[in-house]
Amino acid sequence: MEDFLVGLAPPLIKGILLGGLYVVIALGLSLVFGVMKLINVAHGDLVILGSYFAWAVMGWLGIDPFLSLVAGVPLFFVLGFFVQKFIINRTFRISLDAALIACFGISIIVQNLCQAIWTPFNRSLLTDYRLLTFAVGPLTIQLRYLLDFIGGLAVMLAVRGFLRRTYLGRAISAASQNEPVAERMGINPNRVYSFAFAIAMACAAVAGVLQGLTFSFSPTSGSPFLIISFGVIILGGLGSMAGTFIGGMVFGLTQTLGAYFSGGSLLVQSIAPYLLVFVILSVRPQGIFGR
Amino acid sequence: MSETAVLSIDRVSKHFGGIVAVKDMTFEVQAGEVLGLMGPNGAGKTTLLNIIAGTYSPSSGRVHFCGRDITGLPAHKLCHLGIARTYQIPQPFTSLSARQNILVATEYGGKKAAGMEHDKIFDLVNLSEQKDMPARDLATVSLKRLELARALASNPTLILLDEIAAGSTDAELPRILGIIEEIHKMGKTVVLVEHVMKVMVEAVDRIIVIDKGEKIAEGTPGEVMKDEKVIAAYFG
Amino acid sequence: MKIPRLTTLVPVVILVLLALFPLIGIPLNWLNYLFSFFIYLALATMWNLLAGYTGLIMLCPHAFVGLAGYTMAIGTWVGVPFQAGLIAGAAVAALFALLISYPVFRMKGIYFAIGTLVLPEALKAWFSFWRPVGTAYQGGGAGYAVAGVAGFTLGDKYWLALAIAAVSIFVVHIILRARLGLGLTAIRDNENTAASSGVNIFRLKLSSFLIAAFIMGIAGAAYYIHNPRIQPTSGFNISWLLLPLMATVIGGEGIEEGPIIGAAIVTFLRFLLADYGAWSLFIQGIILVVVVVVMPQGIAGLLRQVGAYRLPLRLFKAAEAKIHKT
Repeated sequence: MEDFLVGLAPPLIKGILLGGLYVVIALGLSLVFGVMKLINVAHGDLVILGSYFAWAVMGWLGIDPFLSLVAGVPLFFVLGFFVQKFIINRTFRISLDAALIACFGISIIVQNLCQAIWTPFNRSLLTDYRLLTFAVGPLTIQLRYLLDFIGGLAVMLAVRGFLRRTYLGRAISAASQNEPVAERMGINPNRVYSFAFAIAMACAAVAGVLQGLTFSFSPTSGSPFLIISFGVIILGGLGSMAGTFIGGMVFGLTQTLGAYFSGGSLLVQSIAPYLLVFVILSVRPQGIFGR
Repeated sequence: MSETAVLSIDRVSKHFGGIVAVKDMTFEVQAGEVLGLMGPNGAGKTTLLNIIAGTYSPSSGRVHFCGRDITGLPAHKLCHLGIARTYQIPQPFTSLSARQNILVATEYGGKKAAGMEHDKIFDLVNLSEQKDMPARDLATVSLKRLELARALASNPTLILLDEIAAGSTDAELPRILGIIEEIHKMGKTVVLVEHVMKVMVEAVDRIIVIDKGEKIAEGTPGEVMKDEKVIAAYFG
Repeated sequence: MKIPRLTTLVPVVILVLLALFPLIGIPLNWLNYLFSFFIYLALATMWNLLAGYTGLIMLCPHAFVGLAGYTMAIGTWVGVPFQAGLIAGAAVAALFALLISYPVFRMKGIYFAIGTLVLPEALKAWFSFWRPVGTAYQGGGAGYAVAGVAGFTLGDKYWLALAIAAVSIFVVHIILRARLGLGLTAIRDNENTAASSGVNIFRLKLSSFLIAAFIMGIAGAAYYIHNPRIQPTSGFNISWLLLPLMATVIGGEGIEEGPIIGAAIVTFLRFLLADYGAWSLFIQGIILVVVVVVMPQGIAGLLRQVGAYRLPLRLFKAAEAKIHKT
């Protein structure tokens, strides 16, 4: 029994910590999904763009990826604002399907831009602390996974603070639940959408750094993140921070425990989250929170 | 259940989450009858129509149609059995012409005896001039008529009309009454949800008044209008 | 003798001319590009059937392509000739569509879209580890070579792809003029009204889904006769979704000639930008976004709007009248 627990503890801890990364990615996706009911299928690619941005800044200036966020977050924010203003808002007026296809266009653009500039080879953010571990009692914890968790918590608190304390944030929350309220507050829905997308992009920049420290990445490695973070928001519910957080943990645990109970099978580790998303969608076709 | 009942609703309830939209509803509609459902906004009339037409299945209770238990059957099967409905807010096939709109109902409406010819239907609902126009170019009034035309095209036994007179001018009311009369003459059974009192009073044989999902009164239009509970529900 | 109508005659003449190309010795490079064009065309035509006419934003063509390609490739390792594997592959793709139909058709709108997008990712993960036949050097990430295709010339492959593209266009042409097309359009326009008018939504969606899966599967398998090695990362690559999506949207979604125009543009861009690697797809992505923003009805929609077909149609009619007079 004791052996079992000792064996089970590392994947449990790793899964929970890894969940933090999925929380950051899912928060961005869920802000846009909340206000527009649109899944930005380019979100995973934007996270990878964030990883490449940090990687490039590291290469040029030799500064830490987290430090690069001082430039990365505002840059992604502004980029997101304009992408929404000039592309998504215009197509959204035509139909949700048109907006979805525009997102696919953005996905193609981002993926191939990364590939053209940075080649299709695998990269990772090689900091000296990347592979550090430390012991807590009998357990060993990998620093990069702990950073994912801290990052997830920090971004979640920041987004929650923004949504609760600022006027714009309250408008975004209102729009997520009930569009007319936001309009009654005198806020142009297009502006709400633009800021939601801008914040989603800022989250992608942060997620990019965390992702790049945790895994290696290539221009096409965004799509698993898209699907997992979609799973997180249908599991956790829209507008519920606690739900998103738990959803992130569940997906982290699905991967690590799946691998553990299958004797370290990489197949189970990679396929388990997809099956989970598909099962959730099959059982509750409108998502867990849907009516 | 009586022998001649076309539709029989037996202790039907419908909940949405914690909200009760229809509660313990029981009534019958006889063959060839025109029944009116009346009640304040949000009373549960449209939910009831949606249950009869198969858009929702009831949370509890049974629905019988011509002696057959149809509880929970999907909408297309009910159409094949002989139930047609119109929508309160017109729901046309926007990219199809008016003629193609009703062609869908004749092509897919099930293996029943041939109903009215399309031209006759268009004449009846006064849409002949616009039958080749795409539905997206039709005005709301015409779309309401298209709803009726489509419902008739599947040659139903029971036809559910959801506020077909809403938004019409007083001058148009006689025409709508005439159409209901005409449908009645064909021997079809009609369930009618309506806010326009004139239509209610003149077209229907019997009225059931619903408030907060429950039946509060039932009788001829004259009886119902004098009922205290009804007056309380509307004005109280 | 009855003289066939020009509107029937013209597609037949184009088909015959295209079929003659390999015989008159046109450059091999052209045959290669036309081969790709036919494959994209079949995929885009089927994507258009689903997205444009049934209202299903289906995001798993790469599941059908990958499954069909793998079925054919693995078949050649156990003695099934690739010709039979081509059909078997398409059948497996259709069977897969049948298996997933019940859960995915319960999902609506964006949930259906993402629900279908998950599947090829899961299949890709599965095939990255699965080694049903061969040694440790085959299967898994390394994939399988398609054996026994050496005798099949470029001309043969060209004709195969041409036939698949022609059949796909013909099938959609027939569907749209039949009872099925009316029902599909009704579902696309308004699912509730279609149901209350007696349309069996599930059965009709399933019919178009199965047809699309079969033809997408056969088109994908044909591609792997020409490029006879399939890996999880190529068979289940998202580009099998993006190509038909791009071609259909650029050409004009919900318009019959849309995929033809779109697939031609996508192929032409590939030819023009062949030396620029990733920049080629980058530019195609930009074109896609510009088209969606500026002319959401696509090029065919724009042509119809400005009445570009009026003059050739009038010429057609005049010519036809003259022929019938003499």
